[in-house]
Order: sequence, then structure tokens, then C-alpha cells
Amino acid sequence: MDMINPTVVDLSRFQFALTALYHFMFVPLTLGLTFMLAAMETVYVVTGRKIYKDMAMFWGKLFGINFALGVATGITMEFEFGTNWSMYSRFFGDMFGTPLAIEGLMAFFMESTFVGLMFFGWDRLSKQAHLAITYLVALGSNLSALWILIANAGMNVPHGAHFDPDTMRLQFDSFVKLIFSPDAQAKFVHTSVAGYVSAALLVMGVSAFYLLRGQHRQFAARSFRMAALFGIISTVAVITLGDVLGREDYMEQPTKIAAIEGLWHTSKPPYEPWILAALPDDAKQENHFEIGVPFVLTPLITHDFNTPIPGMHELEDAAAPRIESGIAAVSALRRYQETHQQSDLDAFKAHEADLGFGFLATRHAPNQDVTAIPADALQSVVEQTKPDILPNVFVTFWSFRIMVFLALYFFALFAISAYLSLKNKLERNKLILKTCMWSIPLPILATEFGWITAEAGRQPWTVFNTLPTFLSASTHSTSYMVFSLAGFALLYSIFIAAELYLMFKFARLGPEAHDAPHAEDAYAAHCAVVGTQHASGH
Amino acid sequence: MQLLRLAGLAAVLVVSLLFAVFVGDQGPWYFAWVIGTIMIILISGAGAILLDAQQDGKIGSSSESEV
Repeated sequence: MDMINPTVVDLSRFQFALTALYHFMFVPLTLGLTFMLAAMETVYVVTGRKIYKDMAMFWGKLFGINFALGVATGITMEFEFGTNWSMYSRFFGDMFGTPLAIEGLMAFFMESTFVGLMFFGWDRLSKQAHLAITYLVALGSNLSALWILIANAGMNVPHGAHFDPDTMRLQFDSFVKLIFSPDAQAKFVHTSVAGYVSAALLVMGVSAFYLLRGQHRQFAARSFRMAALFGIISTVAVITLGDVLGREDYMEQPTKIAAIEGLWHTSKPPYEPWILAALPDDAKQENHFEIGVPFVLTPLITHDFNTPIPGMHELEDAAAPRIESGIAAVSALRRYQETHQQSDLDAFKAHEADLGFGFLATRHAPNQDVTAIPADALQSVVEQTKPDILPNVFVTFWSFRIMVFLALYFFALFAISAYLSLKNKLERNKLILKTCMWSIPLPILATEFGWITAEAGRQPWTVFNTLPTFLSASTHSTSYMVFSLAGFALLYSIFIAAELYLMFKFARLGPEAHDAPHAEDAYAAHCAVVGTQHASGH
Repeated sequence: MQLLRLAGLAAVLVVSLLFAVFVGDQGPWYFAWVIGTIMIILISGAGAILLDAQQDGKIGSSSESEV
């Protein structure tokens, strides 16, 4: 086996994080905007008022820019699994590859096929047929996210798989278990509705920009109201599903939840405070200061008042016997691969549940070979491996808090905005309009930090408690990784610049139908006509 | 023709019920997403139609000069 080069592993991680973070700037808007377009077009089909068609077409244009760049940044990531994470792909390919393939063949193809009809079918399809197409685009983009998040949930909680000592891979037991795992369900809904929030704030912010400038007022008022209502319900759903995910992590990934909460020692219910702010020190394994709200943590995580939450020190101690057992599992597996004797297989089976912890000890074994650990050095290797079971606490703790604080801010902003819109008092409240406009990038930031919480909190594993990250990377040279990383950073920065340029350009231009002089007057006349028709019973 | 439409709607209803029973049992959060998304779309659409009604003078005292 090639020796593990920690620099290459770190560069591989950095490259994947970078490409995923870039990609994830586009994804939430796609997930949410499609359903917003569907909502606008539904109102158009129901009422027959052209302004809603104009809305669907204009916001559809912004969606189109975002969609194209989202696809461009997403495709490279799929190749990255093979190029930079070949060990992971081999070990977890059955589990990960299947949902990924379905995503490509079913959801992405569906989305891509219908997106063309959506853009170019306005004059070629009936109103109802076009609406159906828009819904299919929305469904396709969200199904795309579904399959990716099912694959991701498999990494966090590998339901429906077992390790095969003959092939040295995780193999499928149950596809249904993978799809319907509680983690996959909560992750999908949480991510999807976070996309709704991002889209709602984009629409609300750009509409606020028009209202502040007194442009396209009727168009902006309708867009703003729809986005405010869309956003407030979505934010409630995001927070609810965040709570569900937290409970899932408490049940399945206790190290992640302890790191998220900066909990070094097992909690003392019911008093244990929820830490609002702290300075976690990973090296010293303590928090330098804490500001917390008492009596909140236990019910927040466990949904009762009496259950203690395991702290990181106690989780490290609990891992020690698993590391020792894992070393025995890896040694027995090595012997079995050479002899294929039933006795070696039985020895492996006795320790199979702790195999991942044996892999984790590899880094501290002589020549990275756990079978070469002398009996008198075993406890030393176990002690050195214990802290490795924890993620980076500072990163996990703060990325989670930034996401949560932003979600609470969105709730307040959407609630106030929806209220003012329903009371037709928007234009009098310029501060709220300006706040909405400047808040456009914040949901993207929140989703990025949410992703960092989920992925950094899963460390040191790519497949939780099964495959360590440092064993998952390909054995590239450092120079190769630096070169490809620089290339990706440059290319993706160009994509971001292109997206921002196009978004700003088209947002400033505004809806075409309302650019013409007296367009507002024309709309007012149209409203009057429609109103008269309705009043006379037509 | 009306009988055919009725049969079609009944078929949609049966499929929806089967979907609700299966997904609601196996994946309650997936089911919640389907229902929730429909609800979000309907409420945001209703908000826009309400604005039309407000401006048409059917509800409240608002006019087109104020948004």
C-alpha cells in the first residue's frame, strides 16, 4: 500500500470543499426559483393577468443564468470522486454511485429536457401545458437534489450496507433503507426549503430595489408579496427540519452534535446552557469563554429534560475499546486476505463493527501498518488515535451558529416584509426595502455554512465510523494537486464573476414588458378591464 | 366525456391516496415536503391574488397608488 501523504489528503479535501462551495452558491437558487416560477405561472393561468406571465418570464431569465452555471460547476464534482477520491469511490461506490447515477439519468435529464421547453415554449404550448412543464422543471431540479442528498446521507449514516471482506467494499443490503433513511429525508427537505428561502430573498431583494427606485412598481409589489409569503413559510420549514436533523445527529453522530454545541464534557440536564458564543480551542480541548442560555440545550437536542448529551472527552474514552477492537479487525482482515481461512474470517467477524476505528489507527501505526503494532505499543497507539475521532470543533461550532443566527434573521425579515406587503405599506418603509436588498446574498451564506456544519462535523470520516477521510484520497503528487486546485479556483472564480455580471445586468434592466414608457399606465388600464370583466361576471 | 373526466379524476385521487399512504408511512418527511411545497405555492399565489383584489377595490381601502 502506498504511504499516505497528509499534504495530498489536505489538498484533496480543500479542492473538494472549494468546488462544492462554489457549486452550492448556485444550487439553492435553482431549487427555490423553479417553484417560485411555478407559483407565478399558476397565478397567471388561474387569473389570466399578463403581469404574472411577465413575472414568470423575468425571474425565469435569472433562473436560466443560475441554472447554466450551476450545471457547469456541478459536473466537475462528479469526476472529482474518481480522480481525487478513488479509494473512497472503490470502497463506497455501490452505495454512492447508485443514487448518483439515478440523479443523472432521471432527475437531471428530466430537468434539462424540460428547461428548454420552459424557456422556448411560451408561444408554442398552451398555457396549461407550459405550466405543467414549469412544474416538471421544478420537480426535476429538486429530485436532482434528492438523489445527491440520499448519497450524502449514506456517507453520514450508512444505512442499508454491509462490508464484504472478499471485495473490501461496502455493498448494498437494501436500497429502500438508503432512500428512506431518516437522515436522507430530513437532509433533503432541509436543503430543498433552504433553497426556497434563498430564492424568495432574491426575488424580494430585487423587487425592493425596483420599489426604492419607483420602477416597475406593480410588477415589484406582486413579486415582493409572493416572495415574502413564500419565504416566511419556507423559513419555518427550514428551522423545523434543522431541529429534526439535530436530533438525527444526536442519535447517529454524537461527535458531530458535541462539536456543534462545543460540549467537551457530558451535559448536566436540565440546567445545561445552550452556548450562544464561545471560543473552542481544539488543541487544549476546552472553550475559552462561554455565553449561554441555561435550560435550553437538553430539550433542544434530546426533546426531553432529563437525558444527558455525551461530551467529547467521554466520547473519546468510549472510543478507546473500539479502536483496540478495530485494530484486531484490520489485522484479522489482512490475515484473511492472505489465507482465506474460516478462522481468520471468524476473527474478523468478531470485531467487524469496529473496522473503521482500526483504519483510523493506521496513521499512528509503525509504517502505517496496524499489523506491525507491537503489543507493548498498542495502548500508546490507542491513546494517540482517540482525539482523531473528533471533528474540528471551532469550525463546526461557528459555522452552525452563523447558519442558525441567519435563519432567525430571515424569519424576522420575512415576517415584517409579509406584514407590510399585506398592509400595502411597503413603499413607506424604505429601511425594510433596503434591508431586503442588501440581504440577498445572506441565504447563500447560510446554506454554505450549513453545508460546512454537516461535512466538517462528519470528520474524520468520509463514511461515518467506517472509512476515514485520510484513507479515501487518491495517491496523487502534491504538485498535481496544487496545479488542479489553482485551475479550479481560477475557472470557478470566472464562473462566479460571469454569474454576478449577468445577474446584475438583467436585474438592473428589469422586466422587458415594463420598460416601455407608460407601461404602468397600460397595466392599470388592463387591471381596470379585467376588474370590470370580473365584476360583470365574464 | 364528463364520465371520462370523472374517471380520470377518480384515478388521480386513488393514486394520490396510495402515494400518501405509502410515502406517509415510509418517508413522512418526504410526504411533508410534497404537501408543504404545494401549500407554499398556493399561499404565495393567494397573496398575489389578494393584492389584485385590494387594488381592484374589492378588499380594504388600498389603491394602485400604494403598494
